Amino acid sequence: MKNLIILTLVLFTSCSLSAAVDVIVHPSNANAIDAGDIKKIFTGKAKSFADGSKALPITQADGNPVTDEFNQNVLSKSSSQLKAYWSKLVFTGKGTPPEEAANDAEVVSLVSKNPNLIGFVSKGSADGSVKVVQSF
Amino acid sequence: MNNKVLLGCALCFAAFPSFSDVNISGFTSINAGKVLSGTGVPHYGINEPTFLADYPIVSVYNEDITFKPESLFGLQVTADVSEGLSATAQIVARGADDFNAEFEWAYLSYEINENWTVQAGKKRLPLFYYSDFYDVGYAYVWMRAPADNYTWQIFNYNGVNALYTGSIGDWSLSGNIYFGREDDKENKLLSEFFFGEPTREIWKDIIGGVIQTSNDWLEIRATAMSYTNQRYIGGEPSTWNGKDERDGNFYGLAVNADFGNFFVLSELNRLDLDGNLDTAMLTLGYRIDSFTPFVSYSTFDQKDGDDGEDHNTTSFGIRWDFHSNAAFKIQYDEVEDNSYELAVAGDSKAITIGVDMVF
Repeated sequence: MKNLIILTLVLFTSCSLSAAVDVIVHPSNANAIDAGDIKKIFTGKAKSFADGSKALPITQADGNPVTDEFNQNVLSKSSSQLKAYWSKLVFTGKGTPPEEAANDAEVVSLVSKNPNLIGFVSKGSADGSVKVVQSF
Repeated sequence: MNNKVLLGCALCFAAFPSFSDVNISGFTSINAGKVLSGTGVPHYGINEPTFLADYPIVSVYNEDITFKPESLFGLQVTADVSEGLSATAQIVARGADDFNAEFEWAYLSYEINENWTVQAGKKRLPLFYYSDFYDVGYAYVWMRAPADNYTWQIFNYNGVNALYTGSIGDWSLSGNIYFGREDDKENKLLSEFFFGEPTREIWKDIIGGVIQTSNDWLEIRATAMSYTNQRYIGGEPSTWNGKDERDGNFYGLAVNADFGNFFVLSELNRLDLDGNLDTAMLTLGYRIDSFTPFVSYSTFDQKDGDDGEDHNTTSFGIRWDFHSNAAFKIQYDEVEDNSYELAVAGDSKAITIGVDMVF
């Protein structure tokens, strides 16, 4: 019990110290995408970009610091709050959570090959194959 | 919930849109509890202190500690066929039913476009805010949705549902319209708790609508539903004012506000069924890292007559998100049952603990 509490505290502290987040799309995606759009796409409230093309969000694995940072800074939710939010939608047939990638490299690789995808990576992980639309 | 199996396929998805997949997810709650003290209802044969933790499933706690009343295990299987068509089934095994697994949901879903989805089959009747995900304890803060409010006899229906999602500026907007009926051959709540003999409960010509809007911190849900009720107690049709059926109308309003750490949940409902049955709920909670302490008050009040059904519950508890997929909860409930003629389970003080998980 005590160990768990300490672990929780350590995890919490380490999250707030981690680096910034870049939101990336395919280079051909010319839409203006602001923080509000990103929030809607990643919470299933919007399913397309401004030009009407389909928007498919990709998240990262739970334990990755960048995931916690994105959830906190962009979605304003802890990972448990977000999981509770999605379980409410999943088990009522109202929504499906984003697909999950293992790490930054996988997100970059997937996004670079599909104009419908939108993902987030640790600052500095994006290369020329993708376009950074927002940083947090 | 976790699509790891499919991860490698995010790509194939895009490349081969006809690819279909089966996704399995689930939820479970292992809860235990006991009544600390209570009156029972001696004039109706309930001689020991009793806490009715939820009505439809008839989760009853007495003075001996027990794990069965509210523990459950649910599995959801969704097959995405392609082009917006999917089939979903949810199978739930409840301790209150000796863990006999039952199909609770089984429906086809077709996404017509970005805004509209049509679903047909067996679904949860979306009367209250928490009706749809009543079984998924992980999705809310308490041990259970407040019992005084969720006193429905019928909680599934067979029919058609049209679902809308959209947005207006910063507000997201969703809603649904549904039609259907339910014929519950042996209704658990009425048979076991109220009438003491097999009761068949029919809700027909169900028609209802829900509209829900939310922004960053505020969420408002309004709903209305009407139905016609028929009932057979021990095979004999019940009559009301000489007729063997009666009409019911349900109205509900829920408002939730989230100020970051502090949040407020509220619900106000009225069922007009030969008179008004009013229910209300207010919960205040505060998040401190992974801990969420909360206080809650809920009430049920039958407006007509001198001694209508009248009970309320005051609750305190803590939710602790000790794991990314699981939460531990502890809750104290104090129930006041004020009616003699329509007493339900009497006054009680009870404590329940549990772990809710999603996977």
